[in-house]
Amino acid sequence: MILRLNTDIAAGVFGLAFAAGLWLPRAEMGRLSILFPRAVLVIMTVIAVALIIKGMVRPAGRQVEITGSPRRLLVVMASFFVWWFAIGELGFVVSTFVALLLLTWYLARVHGPVAWSRLLRWVPVIGALVAAFYLTFTEILNVRLPTGLLF
Amino acid sequence: MDMLLQALATLMTFESVITVLVGVSAGLLIGSLPGLTATMALAVLLPFTFSMEALQGLIALGAVYMGSIYGGAFTAILINTPGTPSSIATTFDGYPMARQGRAYEALAGATIASVIGGVVGVTFLLILAPPLARLAVAFGPAEMFWVAMLGLTLVASLSTGSLLKGLLGGCLGMMLSTIGVSPIGGETRFTFGYPPLQGGIELIVALIGLFVIPELLTMAAEGRGALAQEGRFGQGEASIRQIFRRVLGKPVNLIRSCLIGQIIAVIPGAGGNVTSLVAYNEARRFSRDPESFGKGNLEGVVASESSNNVMVAGSMIPLLTLGIPGAPPDAVILGVLMMHGLRPGLDLFTESGVLTNGFILSMGLAALMLLPVGLLGARLIHRIVIKTPYHFLVPCIAMVTILGTFALRNSLLDVGIMLILGSVGYFLRLIGIHPAPIVLGLILGGIAEQGYVQTMLAAVVDPIPWLRLVHNPLSMVLAGLVVLATTTVLLPAWLERRSRPDRKASERGGET
Amino acid sequence: MRFTPTTLAGALSAVALIGVAGMAQADYPEEPITYVIPFDPGGESDVTARFQEPHLEEILGVSVNVTHRPGGGGAVAWSEFQNDAEPDGYEIIGVNIPHIIGQPIQREDAGFETDDWEIITFFHSTPNALIVPADSPFETLDDLVEYARENPEAVTLGGSGTYSANHLGALRLEREADIDITYIPFTGTGPLPAAIEGGHVSGIFNYTMLGVQMEDRARVLAVAAEERVPALPDAPTFKEQGYDIVGGAYRGVAAPTGTPDEVIEVLEEAFAEANREIASEQEPLGFVMEYITGDEVNEVMNMLREAYGPILEEAE
Repeated sequence: MILRLNTDIAAGVFGLAFAAGLWLPRAEMGRLSILFPRAVLVIMTVIAVALIIKGMVRPAGRQVEITGSPRRLLVVMASFFVWWFAIGELGFVVSTFVALLLLTWYLARVHGPVAWSRLLRWVPVIGALVAAFYLTFTEILNVRLPTGLLF
Repeated sequence: MDMLLQALATLMTFESVITVLVGVSAGLLIGSLPGLTATMALAVLLPFTFSMEALQGLIALGAVYMGSIYGGAFTAILINTPGTPSSIATTFDGYPMARQGRAYEALAGATIASVIGGVVGVTFLLILAPPLARLAVAFGPAEMFWVAMLGLTLVASLSTGSLLKGLLGGCLGMMLSTIGVSPIGGETRFTFGYPPLQGGIELIVALIGLFVIPELLTMAAEGRGALAQEGRFGQGEASIRQIFRRVLGKPVNLIRSCLIGQIIAVIPGAGGNVTSLVAYNEARRFSRDPESFGKGNLEGVVASESSNNVMVAGSMIPLLTLGIPGAPPDAVILGVLMMHGLRPGLDLFTESGVLTNGFILSMGLAALMLLPVGLLGARLIHRIVIKTPYHFLVPCIAMVTILGTFALRNSLLDVGIMLILGSVGYFLRLIGIHPAPIVLGLILGGIAEQGYVQTMLAAVVDPIPWLRLVHNPLSMVLAGLVVLATTTVLLPAWLERRSRPDRKASERGGET
Repeated sequence: MRFTPTTLAGALSAVALIGVAGMAQADYPEEPITYVIPFDPGGESDVTARFQEPHLEEILGVSVNVTHRPGGGGAVAWSEFQNDAEPDGYEIIGVNIPHIIGQPIQREDAGFETDDWEIITFFHSTPNALIVPADSPFETLDDLVEYARENPEAVTLGGSGTYSANHLGALRLEREADIDITYIPFTGTGPLPAAIEGGHVSGIFNYTMLGVQMEDRARVLAVAAEERVPALPDAPTFKEQGYDIVGGAYRGVAAPTGTPDEVIEVLEEAFAEANREIASEQEPLGFVMEYITGDEVNEVMNMLREAYGPILEEAE
């Protein structure tokens, strides 16, 4: 998919927005703490403005290309966040098992529909994988993984 | 000399060799998982070393350290994700090589470079520790400020395409580094009233997010793996001997990278995170064919990997002689030394010389051991990554990434930050703001801030405070280098711009 | 306000506990205990926990898992612990003074309160020490004070962190001696040896451990303890030299509010026992072993709160 977008102006606007977002909550800070962030923010604003001006005068690229399917991109991106949220609520093992299975199914569909039998064959593989990682982290690396409501 | 031989004798036992072998392999495995850093590998090992003798414990730690720094190269080459911050520069050429089906060449080249770097570092440590230690303490706040500035000039060469966008990325990274508790002043900054944000944005969290997530999203969107499936593996590809010849055929690159690695390693605080970037940058600057860098030049991989493995032994110099941890993993080793009642200082080289020399030699042994273990591991991991269908690969890498990020600080919030940065990073990459300058800003922001504010604090009595920044020869030299680096970066860009019309005619349009 | 749900949750879990406690106290501990260290691996807190771990396991008969939750100078872990930890004795956390006193005063959103837990014990302290390079012109504390009096702000003292034990100690010295010095915070103890060895500061205000570690390269002018520290027999205390400065960092462990007393007692004894076992390894490093439990915890807390509180609030 090709989007028409002046990348210089887009980058400049993003820079300005970011700088503005951090410029506002700096009021109550002491001199030592604000010295450096303020300097960087000023420089950042200057660069962002320069980019916008350059984008108007001599733009570098007027379009960006998202390779592949944008829908799949957004679905996978959203699913990562759902997965993350589920780890906290339901626990690592359950949510990761489900997430791996669903993501594998979703991504495999690119090459055509996935038969039930194939899906069922994945279950033990993914189960073993999750169990192996869970045990490695909790038992050997001594990391307490979130257990949440289920496990 | 006696001590050296005696140390060598203790090292040549079956037990020690096995310890090194296991340590290197384990370190390699941990280092190759994004998020699991050398620091963490050492911390995990710590309890096990209690039951060992002091020397055995140190041998194990040294081997794991060496292995994990090297392991970072695997993911850097195969999935464009630096497993540890010290292998960021390896991605620049390693990943393009992998996409061209030359993954094994890149992996083998990285292995050979790492072995050489490791051995060189150990040699430096054995013969040059005391004078280099003196260099380490010369870097005070003002000098550190200039070192950070010098590092920031790298932004120019890291920003493919637009210098302005690269600088914007650098500023972005520096601002991200200020979230949390300010290093000087102790106040919370930019936490928006949310206490967990006091922890700030950990470098590795940002690193993983900015590098891995966009890569996974791209793979998912395109519906295929990033690496060529067939991968002209083994046949038609360069053989080990050819790769050896190719790496050793450019001795200047190796020597330069090793020296850079050694010098940066002794500067406390800068650590391994920037060594590989600096070495990469210089390799490109001095190359006869700088255009080929970033498009799959083995020299780039060699520069990055040789310099970061020099750093392993190199950072032991300030640690063993002065008790100054040069890089984060060294703090763990310092803890172990103290626990065994070993006090850093020159005594360590005389009174407990057998132990210290044994430790140093074992790191050399570990470096040599990287060759067989690494080449074998490279073949194995390469095959796994290539043969696994992408619909398995993407979710699995995502899982490892989430696990690694969580394990870093036992924080689920870090996982969220990682995902957010990664998703934003995907779109930023589209508009030409690449992850490397952002990460560089994040690494150097803290160093620059501390150096600057500490210098200003010390200068409260001076009439013109900022003169303190150039008050001694070393800081003046560094400041001069910054000016020099800036002009050498800006001048060609300016000249190029002036002569652009006629250049365009003679050259076909650039890729980006 | 934030405290309502928290208090409610606290009350609820306390109620729930009365049920659980009846069973738990009899044969506590039965499960592995998680020992959270709110700092990075390799630091003094971590090293101490690693020392304790095997002894605690032996005494308690269950495994003790040391996990790290660094961030915000400890505040991230502490706020999480006060909000989420179950008061069943299977989750304990390392606490440090003055961090837990200073941060809530100084930050609006530290996320934890100084008293919202049961401090089991403080097991050791590290007194502040004023250290100068071996080639420094200051032979004694008086030299330094005299010079600082004539040249206000010219003496630069490095230390670990802002409003840390080091910083507060330096501020106390300013008050007691009526001088004006410049305190320069560094991140942690790591960079301090380089700062002193490279002559980037006139001296450092750090802990006794660094004085021991740098014995042959630096001079300890004064130690902020009641008596001389065994590991540094030649270093005089501030008190000997006429300045009433006693202080430093205390390390201990805490359990969530509402943990049954029986459980606290078991842990108290276990830590005391472990402390005795590791004393021979820790004392030579410059640590001062402490066995502060029960009411003494509050005494120490109050003593330090009085000493540091006004300085902190004035700085605010």
